Amino acid sequence: MTFALQINGSARQFDTPRETSLLHLLRNDCGLNGPKYGCGLGQCGSCTVLVDGVAARSCVVPAHGVAGRHITTLEGLGTRAAPHPVQQAFIDAQAAQCGYCLNGMVMATVALLARVPDPTPKQVRAELSHNLCRCGTHLEILDAVQRAARLCAEDRP
Amino acid sequence: MRAEEAGLSRAAVRAADGVLLVLREVPPPPAPSPGQPPAVAGNPAEGPEVLLACWDDGSATGFVGHVDLGTGLRTALTQIVAEELDLAPAQVHMQMGNTASVPNQGATIASASIQIHAVPLRLAAAQARAWLQAHGGAAALAGRHVELQLDLQASTKPVEDYRLVGQSVPRVDIPAKVHGEVAFVHDMRVPGMLHGRVVRPPYAGLDAGEFVGNTLEGVDEGSIAHIPGVVAVVVQRDFVGVVAEREEMAEAAMAALAVRWKPWPGMPGVDQTEQALRAHPSTRRLLLEEGQVDQAIAGAAAHMPRTYVWPYQLHASIGPSCALAHWHGEAAATVATVWAGTQNPHVLRADLALLAGVADARIDLVRMEAAGCYGRNGADDVAADALLLSRAVGRPVRVQLTRAQETAWEPKGAAQLMQVDGGLNADGTPAAYDFQTSYPSNGAPTLALLLTRTVEPVAKAFEMGDRTAVPPYAYAHLRVAANDMAPLLRASWLRGVSALPNSFAHESYIDELASAAGIDPVDYRLRHLPDARAAELVRATAAKAGWKPHTAPQSQAADGDILKGQGFAYARYIHSKFPGFGAAWAAWVADVEVNQRTGEVHVRRVVVGQDAGLMVNPAGVQHQVHGNVLQTTSRALKERVEVEPATGVTLNREWGSYPLLSFREVPVVEVMLMPRPGEAPLGAGESASVPGTAAIANAIFDATGVRLRAPPFTPEVVRAALHQGQLPPPPPEPRPEAEAVVPAPATGLPADARLPRRKPLWAVALALVVGGAATVAGLAGWRSAIAPVARPALDTYSAATIERGRLLAAAGDCVVCHTAPSGQPNTGGRAMDTPFGTVYTTNLTPDPTTGIGAWSLAAFQRAMREGISRDGRHLYPAFPYTAFTKMTDDDLTALYAYLMAQPAVAHQPPATQLPFPFGLRPLLAGWNALNLEAGAWKPDIAQTPQWNRGAYLVNGVGHCGACHTPRDALGAERSGTAFLSGALIDGWEAPALTALSKAPVPWTADSLYAYLRHGHSREHGAATGPMAPVVQELAALPDADIRAMALYLASFQAPDAPVRPVATRTDMLPGPAQRLFENACGACHHDGDGPRLLGLNLPFALSTKLHSDRPDNLLRVMLEGVREAAGPQVGFMPGFADNLSDAQIALLSGYLRQRYAPDKPAWQDLASRTAALRTAR
Repeated sequence: MTFALQINGSARQFDTPRETSLLHLLRNDCGLNGPKYGCGLGQCGSCTVLVDGVAARSCVVPAHGVAGRHITTLEGLGTRAAPHPVQQAFIDAQAAQCGYCLNGMVMATVALLARVPDPTPKQVRAELSHNLCRCGTHLEILDAVQRAARLCAEDRP
Repeated sequence: MRAEEAGLSRAAVRAADGVLLVLREVPPPPAPSPGQPPAVAGNPAEGPEVLLACWDDGSATGFVGHVDLGTGLRTALTQIVAEELDLAPAQVHMQMGNTASVPNQGATIASASIQIHAVPLRLAAAQARAWLQAHGGAAALAGRHVELQLDLQASTKPVEDYRLVGQSVPRVDIPAKVHGEVAFVHDMRVPGMLHGRVVRPPYAGLDAGEFVGNTLEGVDEGSIAHIPGVVAVVVQRDFVGVVAEREEMAEAAMAALAVRWKPWPGMPGVDQTEQALRAHPSTRRLLLEEGQVDQAIAGAAAHMPRTYVWPYQLHASIGPSCALAHWHGEAAATVATVWAGTQNPHVLRADLALLAGVADARIDLVRMEAAGCYGRNGADDVAADALLLSRAVGRPVRVQLTRAQETAWEPKGAAQLMQVDGGLNADGTPAAYDFQTSYPSNGAPTLALLLTRTVEPVAKAFEMGDRTAVPPYAYAHLRVAANDMAPLLRASWLRGVSALPNSFAHESYIDELASAAGIDPVDYRLRHLPDARAAELVRATAAKAGWKPHTAPQSQAADGDILKGQGFAYARYIHSKFPGFGAAWAAWVADVEVNQRTGEVHVRRVVVGQDAGLMVNPAGVQHQVHGNVLQTTSRALKERVEVEPATGVTLNREWGSYPLLSFREVPVVEVMLMPRPGEAPLGAGESASVPGTAAIANAIFDATGVRLRAPPFTPEVVRAALHQGQLPPPPPEPRPEAEAVVPAPATGLPADARLPRRKPLWAVALALVVGGAATVAGLAGWRSAIAPVARPALDTYSAATIERGRLLAAAGDCVVCHTAPSGQPNTGGRAMDTPFGTVYTTNLTPDPTTGIGAWSLAAFQRAMREGISRDGRHLYPAFPYTAFTKMTDDDLTALYAYLMAQPAVAHQPPATQLPFPFGLRPLLAGWNALNLEAGAWKPDIAQTPQWNRGAYLVNGVGHCGACHTPRDALGAERSGTAFLSGALIDGWEAPALTALSKAPVPWTADSLYAYLRHGHSREHGAATGPMAPVVQELAALPDADIRAMALYLASFQAPDAPVRPVATRTDMLPGPAQRLFENACGACHHDGDGPRLLGLNLPFALSTKLHSDRPDNLLRVMLEGVREAAGPQVGFMPGFADNLSDAQIALLSGYLRQRYAPDKPAWQDLASRTAALRTAR
């Protein structure tokens, strides 16, 4: 079926089967690597993208189901030359071991800070409570989120 | 930078100009080491191994046979090479794990990469630096090719001159990962790539026994004929895979492929870990015997035999394994290139070669990063799967394992049984320590080799239970033995392999001795710890943590039901085959809080000390320590593989049944790294995990006085231990939630409700007479065909009429029933299950032969009003003409105009053939006489125009009663109070829309409006199942019509319902059901204390599904998910049919009912109902 999406700011037309998940569309039809397949059940968060600025688990979203909406992936945040403050904060805090869950952690943080610019540690933990990490990088990630809040605040005029 | 040039194969490097290489001859094959993981000898035919290349632009490439498993090895090795060459880290590039270029250094295991395998690399760099210094630097390499043989006597830089090694540097791989660049094997793509999926056998997680590779009975390829883009179905013994052009098509084919399996013998009893290990045949291997153990035990003042049991655990990689293979063909020198996330590239290459029947060197294995696994997960298996599929289709194939496949089939971290015999002397010293450890060892041959029976599925005992089997304490009488045994479940090494369980026993036992002796546990350890470096670490860690010496459990009370405790443990990880090598020393102090009522254990703070000798990258070491602490806390508190008792099949297929430590549970971690710059660097990747579980168990003992000897320490385990032989304290009464005070439903319909009336008896009698005559006439062909006509010209009807028809079609949801799954809209073919048989819907498009293109308006009107097809045949009342008959002539005309204006699609849906007698269509004349009140709706002048509009839409074109009104024995909608009182349709419950609703909150005009307009209502839930497309269609209708329908339906609600509180149970004890809910569903469904995600999080306490008499709608949504959202706010939900068993769905739904509808009786037979709905689906 045909439908349109705004992906990282660009309007795109798609003609994909009805079964195509947003995750598969982003990875296979758009060649993006940020969102990762982790569980296919919305449990682990590694596939997180933003749909109109709200965190969404792209593995459980049929692509046509968000037709016409704005999708932001990790690639849409910043570049190596000009990283998004949240990306910069994760680099600064060295918040990855294997890094497979990193996409979800970053995207969930971006969504949280857009809603709550200065979250308490409890809010951060609640927001990330269903983003799984096997390596035990939680401490560095919590540090990265607090650092990201500061960097985002500095970025605001 | 030349060091980063892609595709630096060994041959290419050796042919390059402007380079200095340090080579070594292929080391001789390692001495045979029975019972150890397979090693593959280097092949001299591939030429000498290149360790290092220094390029004429000043850059350098290091070649390493090991891989970075997320521990920062790449960064640390970069530091080592840059240090010796006096380069900046940015000038150094590491080639890791690619078999075409790197030396064969075996598997990346046992934290040995820095300690052992970095040594030749460092020597090579030192040697190269000497050469470059002697020849005027890198510029001297221009146009030259220099090769040096590795000099094992090369003089390396003195430690005091280090400027990079020992400094904390950032990880080199994070920027690429944080920007979504190609980093993981999952991200690898090549032109022409296809997508593969495998279908695994039913014996999930078992890999030994004659049935392995012998259980496939047949594959019905026709079962996926309807899926487009399928390229191949590949079957080889029990290996089954599908290849498709698109990934979702491969997924669909995997799910739909009909595969028949023969019965196979299970492996019963593995769920009882201790008994299973005791009963399993083993070979005793005495590792150490000192003193007179038996006499010492016999003479002990207190005899203290103890048993400790470790569960099977998962590697639990967040990313299921993935690989890409490109089969180049038998004729090519390199028959295949395989991109894989393996831990052991050369061993895997040998496996792939064996599978393909070619020499090792003809396969290129390109190692890419994968999700952290801390041992061996499915990475090798999927590489072999990809090779088989690519070979079958001759194109590159990417294979992604599903979460369920990864979890069920990954080689588990093995269970373990540790038995200690010993005791105390009268003076409080240990009498003896007689330790035996039983480890169902592991090799986990690559799965495809077994499934294809390329290798025999024979369970081989490895000698791997001996890691850290010798306790660190000076027991005068000491015996240590390993009981080597073959694997039970498919298993392989997991972080701290066998050492972690062994240390759990050693460190629990010494704590038990201290307690029995009445001596502080740290003091007791120090009295018997001969290793001075260890003792220093123990003292420093205890001091850092503020250890409070104590001689009995402190059981410090805190708030409410909480008891606090502190526990200590120490271990030096001794890895590899006994006697092995010592890696870093580590000590833990864990502070825990135990809830006496619920059994929940919270690890509040961990202070961990570590002595890893010289630390190449101290920040990296600290990071690893953090990871070890959190992962071990997770393993200790939460993790256990569940198997089906009768078969041994792994039951965990998703995270709900195997939760990991959550961000909410993360403790404070304080790390103390011992500064030892003058000592050799020691493996730091695993050591800090080894003492962790004992520290937590010892802390729980300190808090409660209860000793736990079998992790995980889940709430139900702790609760049972705390309340042995007695019931736990009664929970408080369920407390109503203050904000959830809502009006309660009344039971009666309003007195003035305008219910459709039952036909009076005389009318029934008359109808029977008329109907009988009509049936006879019908059998004689009384209802005539209406002559076919040409499809009306497009300009016959005005645009306004056609538009009105479009809205009516939407209000009538024509497209919902007249479209087959994945069929074209309105072309018919959807199967409607009725009690009388399956009725297929017809083609509604204006195609003259297969659709209604030859229908005149009169024929259309007759069908809608009387249920007679154009050709005179009766239509089955699955087509709701008893409702459509109420439509006005104008509306029928508009609907006709709209349908005729749509594109004609030639498509012949299956013919409906009901069994006798229902197949006799003329009988429907009698049915109609009884049940059809033909003719347009007559407004009720006592009601408002809005009410009448609503009634017209609901009872006419909207035909709500078709689903929501129960039917009589003849399939006719019942009248009177049965009107819209709820019915079962197509395996779903269409709930009551009147005051008979079971919902905790009565419907109102507002909530009905919200539901019909937006697809959800806070007081009732979201429209799912067949209702979702109905709401989607209603989106076309103007607000006024939706309001009118809501107003009309609201007139069947009880007025002025009394207010009563809705209780949500807040006292449910934590356990498997609560965990399943929290971890399988909790990301979206929580009480406001979880993440904010796309879609709604409606309160379950008010959900109609949870308050119904039947669990059907809840079960179906759990099984099938929500793929079609009723409205843009609703959001989506995955179906759990492939990931949760009937028992798990039953557990979950029973829990939800109990928690959120506590005033309703428990649903019965949930598992069998789930099974029935699963089949019906």
